[in-house]
Amino acid sequence: MISRRTFLGAAPLGLAALSQPARATTYFTGATVRQALFPSATQFVDRSVTLTSAQAKAISKASAARVSKSKVAVWEARGANGKLGTMFIDQVYGKHEFITYAVALGPEGDVRQIEIMDYRETYGDQIRIPKWRAQFSGKRHGQPLKFTKDVKNISGATLSCLHITDGIRRLLATYALVIAQG
Amino acid sequence: MAGGDDLVRRAQPWFGTIVEIAVPRRQEAAIEAGLAAISHVHARMSYHDAGSDLEKLRFAGVGEIVAVDPETVRVLRFAATLHSETAGLFDVAVGCHLVAAGFLPERGRNNLSTLAGSTQDLQIVDDTHVVFHAPLLIDLGGIAKGHGVDLAVAALIAAGCDHGIVNAGGDLRVFGDVSQAIWLNRADGGLTDPISVTNMAVATSSNRHTRARLKGRLVTPHIGHDQRPVIANHAVTIVAPTCIIADALTKVALADPELANTLFARYGAQMIIPESLRRAA
Repeated sequence: MISRRTFLGAAPLGLAALSQPARATTYFTGATVRQALFPSATQFVDRSVTLTSAQAKAISKASAARVSKSKVAVWEARGANGKLGTMFIDQVYGKHEFITYAVALGPEGDVRQIEIMDYRETYGDQIRIPKWRAQFSGKRHGQPLKFTKDVKNISGATLSCLHITDGIRRLLATYALVIAQG
Repeated sequence: MAGGDDLVRRAQPWFGTIVEIAVPRRQEAAIEAGLAAISHVHARMSYHDAGSDLEKLRFAGVGEIVAVDPETVRVLRFAATLHSETAGLFDVAVGCHLVAAGFLPERGRNNLSTLAGSTQDLQIVDDTHVVFHAPLLIDLGGIAKGHGVDLAVAALIAAGCDHGIVNAGGDLRVFGDVSQAIWLNRADGGLTDPISVTNMAVATSSNRHTRARLKGRLVTPHIGHDQRPVIANHAVTIVAPTCIIADALTKVALADPELANTLFARYGAQMIIPESLRRAA
């Protein structure tokens, strides 16, 4: 039998990527996440900045996190009585995953809330063993599922928030060194 | 019928992983209650967070009665029971080994690796107080996460959710009368085919990707018999009524499958080691 891996190896890159099971979930868009982070805000003022190389270097040094892009997406949330806080939208990349997340800071620069906006992760080739499925019989288990590559609920997932933790440290340094100064 | 697509999902970083809650769209407001339960357990039981009960216990002296959150006591009680049922194999006081192996930082107190007492040296005084009878270092790790999932499910149900899923990395729980598709991670990083589950908790553990070398010896965050690290090349999946049970039993099953087998009936649990989760070293 030709192994799946061999077959994928010979396939064009795009096809191989399509054939892999992937977890892809959009939790919020840029428009909807604002409401979740600052429900009482009446206005979001774009404070996005492009870091100079000196600023990027200083942020990297202060946060011990790599600054991979110079553009930082930032908004100031305002309510009826003035500034409510700051919202960042940022991305982090892992070996197999790509995460977009939003961070809300209070007026003093403290982390108030973190929301994952978009999560994408790809997995290696799959082995399907019907015999194993047969273990799941009885009333606790439902009907066989239609096979899908749109993976949603994973037990024992490699999901790690290590990159997000680094990202938040980087954003806090960006806030202290650049945004709060402006 | 497999549900899933009618669910609205939220995800936040907690417990060093991403916690996802999925509920029916019409019950979306309940997610806040679920997240509040998760954040409460994280704040009380994280080894890393300043102000947590574990930090308090890290600095507690032998014989000193320490006030902790009722949820922390529930988790410690569960741990103490399983400790005695497994003749000491399941031990939450393995912090000293984890610090020595570099899996946990010292965090504000030196010589943590000398705090070598076991769960046996922990006494639960009442629903909000505990005392140590020997120096020991607790890391609740997966069972805190499991309990967080269980509390979140309870909070979601109390807030009016009739079904949904809470997934905290390795530990997930499906509740309500709608079955959900669950994929299991294989130790080699791939996924199994989905299984369909209703009203149960599923936990998967492996240590293939969490190993390090210490003075030439292979170490893992899973401590087995005689305080030796458990080296397992396969992932273990347990289904159980609650996540705290499922998570704890994966640790027992990785270290000693036969011993785990003797506990399954009592806890209403079942172990799944499909061939597709195995992989030769």
